[in-house]
Amino acid sequence: MAVAKVSERWAAMSLVPKEEVGLLVDGLARHYQVIGPKQKGKAFVLEKLASGQELRLDYQTSILPPRKALIRPRETMFSFHDNQVETVQDAGPQVLFGLHPCDVHALTLLDQVFSLEYEDPYYAARRQQTYVVALNCTTVGENCFCYLMGTGPTLRDGYDLLLTDLGNEYLVEVGSDAGEELLRHLSLRPAPRVRVVEKEKRLDQVRRQFRQQMEVTEMREVLAGSYNHPAWRELAKDCLGCGNCTMVCPTCFCFQVKDQLELDLNHGQRVREWDSCLLWDYSLVALGHNFRPQLETRLKQRLYHKLYYYEDQIGTPGCVGCGRCVTNCPAGIHPLEVVARLKGE
Amino acid sequence: MSGKPKIAVYKLSSCAGCQLEFLNLEPVLLDVVGALDISYFVMAKRDNAPGPYDIGFVEGAVTCGEEIAKLKAARRDCKTLVALGSCACFGGLPSIKNWEPQREVEARVYSELWAIHSTKAYGIDQYVPVDAYLRGCPIDKGELVELIKNCLLGAAPAWRFPAVCTECKIKENVCLLIYENKPCMGPVTAAGCGALCPTYGKPCEGCRGPAHDANAPSLARIFGDLGLNAADVTRYFRKYAGTTPAFQEGAEAL
Ligand code: SF4
Ligand code: SF4
Ligand code: SF4
Ligand code: SF4
Ligand code: SF4
Repeated sequence: MAVAKVSERWAAMSLVPKEEVGLLVDGLARHYQVIGPKQKGKAFVLEKLASGQELRLDYQTSILPPRKALIRPRETMFSFHDNQVETVQDAGPQVLFGLHPCDVHALTLLDQVFSLEYEDPYYAARRQQTYVVALNCTTVGENCFCYLMGTGPTLRDGYDLLLTDLGNEYLVEVGSDAGEELLRHLSLRPAPRVRVVEKEKRLDQVRRQFRQQMEVTEMREVLAGSYNHPAWRELAKDCLGCGNCTMVCPTCFCFQVKDQLELDLNHGQRVREWDSCLLWDYSLVALGHNFRPQLETRLKQRLYHKLYYYEDQIGTPGCVGCGRCVTNCPAGIHPLEVVARLKGE
Repeated sequence: MSGKPKIAVYKLSSCAGCQLEFLNLEPVLLDVVGALDISYFVMAKRDNAPGPYDIGFVEGAVTCGEEIAKLKAARRDCKTLVALGSCACFGGLPSIKNWEPQREVEARVYSELWAIHSTKAYGIDQYVPVDAYLRGCPIDKGELVELIKNCLLGAAPAWRFPAVCTECKIKENVCLLIYENKPCMGPVTAAGCGALCPTYGKPCEGCRGPAHDANAPSLARIFGDLGLNAADVTRYFRKYAGTTPAFQEGAEAL
């Protein structure tokens, strides 16, 4: 996964016609499991692509974020019987194809989270064999606010290959040795200089589609002084505590661990599942104490974690502005609107 | 428990769908039968042994005096008493009759009213202490097996009841509330069914009763915004668990 800054390396650029991008997937699928956007009803999901024909690079966002390919919503850690333990490790080489810049940023955040104090061996094993083919955004979704968070709509690093839509073809840039390795499986034609200029022109147009509502530093200042703001109580009247916002968030990393026994009470598995700070018993501890029994404090925990505590933990905000929590919140709670309300707007 | 625990399955006012889930336990049915002594289960066997029993499963809501007596006897006979299904947990479907005068409800179904002495439909914990609850209409077989294992271990099941949405998202379903504007009870209903209905494209009906710390009034307002009138919203919250404080709040929110 060795990620090198593009500026530090020779960036090879090539072109692939739009109608052939599926063949790219098929080429990679001979060596890797390729996970990319495909349609599901009125939405899109990142899933294993059976063939390049399923690929939908015109997707705006996926229901679940790419982290599901690194720490699964539900996974077995090990199985046990008669005092014996067998570790389950199902990592294999995989390509995450067509990730948007916000989601690539989210992965680099998770890389830090899962290696900060303790390395998570399950995450690490999968991550080591994961290659990222990113896709610069040339259209902006209605809930996207990456530009504000500094995580999009274009990408500088964190990818192995990077695609940009140039109309009838994609520009392909190499971001790492692994990316070069990926290209070796494919035959692409080199890009002339004018197409690279074309890329910058298009991306400038995309950036102009964003309204810059607030600076990240200002968000932090507002939150620093708002823990007891009365708006929280009002927001908690609307919040359902359903946990949708955290399930779909690309930077959420909480999980619960439990043991599941077979009926013989001898064989079993230890499994882990995604958890959410919005849920009542997330902060329930032994002997029955609950640190956040009120929904208001749980709603605060989520937004403070994304926009404040995360920065204390790893130096960058935990929100990459992907907008998934906004799209999926039945109560229409939007992180930026919350901050604006706390600011008194 | 020495030897195989003796179990009993009782029926009050119900459709027998939850008892049926016992018999639907294949492929583990034989293991379950091997681990338990099914002493009393009228729907499943001809010879039924008298109590006492180790675990009693009571299906159905309590809807008349005779059932109260039957339930109290079951409580006396069983060390552990389990409410089997939403009717036994909080009244379930029969409890939709609780919001009108009982005589009017009876008159709609029966002609010989002198022979009918029904009460409002309640879950069994209205009358006796209950040790464990298996929610759902019908119950979830996985949870039933989990509970049996926990009884064998002598441990309380470590169950959590967040919203159905959590399981729905893990299945990566396209949200019916968000994408289809359909009134889905998932955000306030207790998970455990694996988001069964939304996975098949049907909004959650709330059969498992309220999720932990559910915010029913907010969902009621969201349903109102979808265009449902107050009476419809009330019916949504009373369909299975209108007797619970959380859904009562939802029923009265608009
Ligand atoms: S913020 Fe929205 S999605 Fe998150 S728990 Fe509250 S209602 Fe659910
Ligand atoms: S908080 Fe919302 S917008 Fe920010 S990264 Fe998470 S899901 Fe995306
Ligand atoms: S938030 Fe930005 S990077 Fe993410 S999908 Fe939207 S435009 Fe693209
Ligand atoms: S379909 Fe229903 S249960 Fe599923 S996420 Fe949407 S509201 Fe929740
Ligand atoms: S989705 Fe809702 S109605 Fe359907 S089984 Fe689950 S709790 Fe019951």
